[in-house]
Amino acid sequence: MSESREHKTILQLEQVSRFYRTRGNVFRGGGRLVVALNKINLSLRQGEIFGLVGESGSGKTTCGRLIVRLEEPDEGRITLGGEDITHLKGKKLKDYRRQVQMVFQDPYQSLNPQVTIADSVAEPLITNKLGDPLDHLERVLKVLDTAGLSPSEDYVYRFPHQLSGGQRQRVAIARAIVLEPSLLVADEPTSMLDASYSAQIFEILQGVRDNMGATIMFITHSMASARYLCDRIGVIYRGHLVEQGPAEQVINAPQHPYTKALIDATPKFGRSSEVPTYGTLLAAERPATSSAGCPFFRRCALAERLLCAGTYPPWHDVAPEQVALCHLLQDAAPAASSG
Amino acid sequence: MALLTVENLGIGYQTAKGLLKAVDGVNFSLEPGRSLGLVGESGCGKTTIGMALMGLLPPNGRITEGRIVLDGVEISTLPEDELRKVRWNEVAMIFQAAMNALNPVKRISAQIMEAIQTHRPDMDDDAALLRVEGLFNLVGLPLERLHDFPHQYSGGMKQRAIIAMALALNPKLVIADEPTTALDVIVQDQILKETKQLQSQFNIGIIFISHDISIVADVCHDIGVMYAGQLVESGPAEEVFFNSQHPYTQALVSSFPTLAGPKTKLAPIPGEPPNLTGTIPGCRFCDRCPKDTASCKLDHPKWQQVGPGHHVLCDHC
Repeated sequence: MSESREHKTILQLEQVSRFYRTRGNVFRGGGRLVVALNKINLSLRQGEIFGLVGESGSGKTTCGRLIVRLEEPDEGRITLGGEDITHLKGKKLKDYRRQVQMVFQDPYQSLNPQVTIADSVAEPLITNKLGDPLDHLERVLKVLDTAGLSPSEDYVYRFPHQLSGGQRQRVAIARAIVLEPSLLVADEPTSMLDASYSAQIFEILQGVRDNMGATIMFITHSMASARYLCDRIGVIYRGHLVEQGPAEQVINAPQHPYTKALIDATPKFGRSSEVPTYGTLLAAERPATSSAGCPFFRRCALAERLLCAGTYPPWHDVAPEQVALCHLLQDAAPAASSG
Repeated sequence: MALLTVENLGIGYQTAKGLLKAVDGVNFSLEPGRSLGLVGESGCGKTTIGMALMGLLPPNGRITEGRIVLDGVEISTLPEDELRKVRWNEVAMIFQAAMNALNPVKRISAQIMEAIQTHRPDMDDDAALLRVEGLFNLVGLPLERLHDFPHQYSGGMKQRAIIAMALALNPKLVIADEPTTALDVIVQDQILKETKQLQSQFNIGIIFISHDISIVADVCHDIGVMYAGQLVESGPAEEVFFNSQHPYTQALVSSFPTLAGPKTKLAPIPGEPPNLTGTIPGCRFCDRCPKDTASCKLDHPKWQQVGPGHHVLCDHC
């Protein structure tokens, strides 16, 4: 798939930043500024599954929330199919959200416990005034089938508490795809579920992409799941995107020290002989002298004090389509075009 | 002599719909200094076993059959005040969700001191504090954070504090119930390495409960795979995961994404586990099993030995 040169960009984030201000108190006055996302550039290609990988607090959920416009960026621009959606309001925002849907992390909290599955899944149709009630039921049944809840007749009149975690998450996916969105943001859809359910969720997401042509942004902390599901991945660290490239390539030949640290920390499950150990993570954080330097400086075992602490690292084209944000890397010989 | 022996353990919860048999006919034993991983989906009874080992079953739960013998003492029949002497002295637990296992309005030092002094009433404050400092060094927490409140700690630090508390009285057995589920991969990796190191240093027996097979494969010597309240496969970790015999274990392994190796299609396990109220005549995995036959539904499967120390509860292995 990545062979074809026809990459139609569907969603683009340009220099997007998002800040939060911590609540101050009576004695200290105003709060501290926390940078959740720092000048992120990202583009999603039509029909791909893009994995955004990082620890908690790295800003990956914030990124997802900006894309579905649950929040507005403080700086930068987001475009969908060429149209600027950064500060949409009112009816235009509602129209936008018909095309862009989200699956949340915790299916125990994202479904209304007092509403049947049928009503939960039909709600987006009612809000957007699409079709009549009979039509709704038909679409709900169809979409539940797509989300792997079959026979769907058995599920429509149940309540969330009658379903297992895996089934609830499938309901959440059904509700997100009932409007046939062109972009789906899935925020750690399997982190609250048993391992045995994750494979089902992956299969459904793949089906949504293959059969409905939707583009998916898959937010995860697991490199192994990203390897299975994603075409390309981006690695995010404390609000900074640090590496991006084809999934297989980033996992087999990671370039950024943080990506390497993530691979090191992932349990290998009997395959430790096939995965090299990189040892790029510092055991104890080192103090940073300035905030202008590399975001990973404090924990990077390879960092050079003068270079890495003082200046923000540049992007390097480390391999075809693979880019990394690090002083210590060099561009690969044939200059490849970055995305 | 084995540190812990569990014989034919059955645990039931009294519910509005009748007795729910959360654990049924479970046998295993643990030698001192070894670790046993209990893996399975949520609702398979692994946490219930952990709670029973601590004598902390909820009011509607009780041991319906079998016995638990810890160091020669049958703890499943001990009265509560006798049990209290065993708990934390001999068996300690690292609870799931470290975030919620600490008291938010008490300083960490005071919480661990309380755990120590409850069981060692003759120990004065200075001695207890000294012990807490020793524990902080042991689990790699900085001493200047001793008197912090839980909210000032990160997730990984809270988990370390919980581990320190579990080790406070030098228990022989530690039950770790999903100790890293809420943590990031990097922190998880650090905690697991420390757990392994502490275990060999103090020769503690560990029962490690998790749904993540890659973690237990990493940490444990032996594995027990649980399904719907029963142990279905047990043996050395290598054998159980890389020479799996029970269809459920095989399904678990093949539905698990790995970082290397052939990127084969993950095979999800179809269906849901059975309802455990009432009786199930045959094999419990039957409805989801790729090789079920008519006889599976009729009769209880028998344990088969398939290798040294490797046993499977399946008639077709």
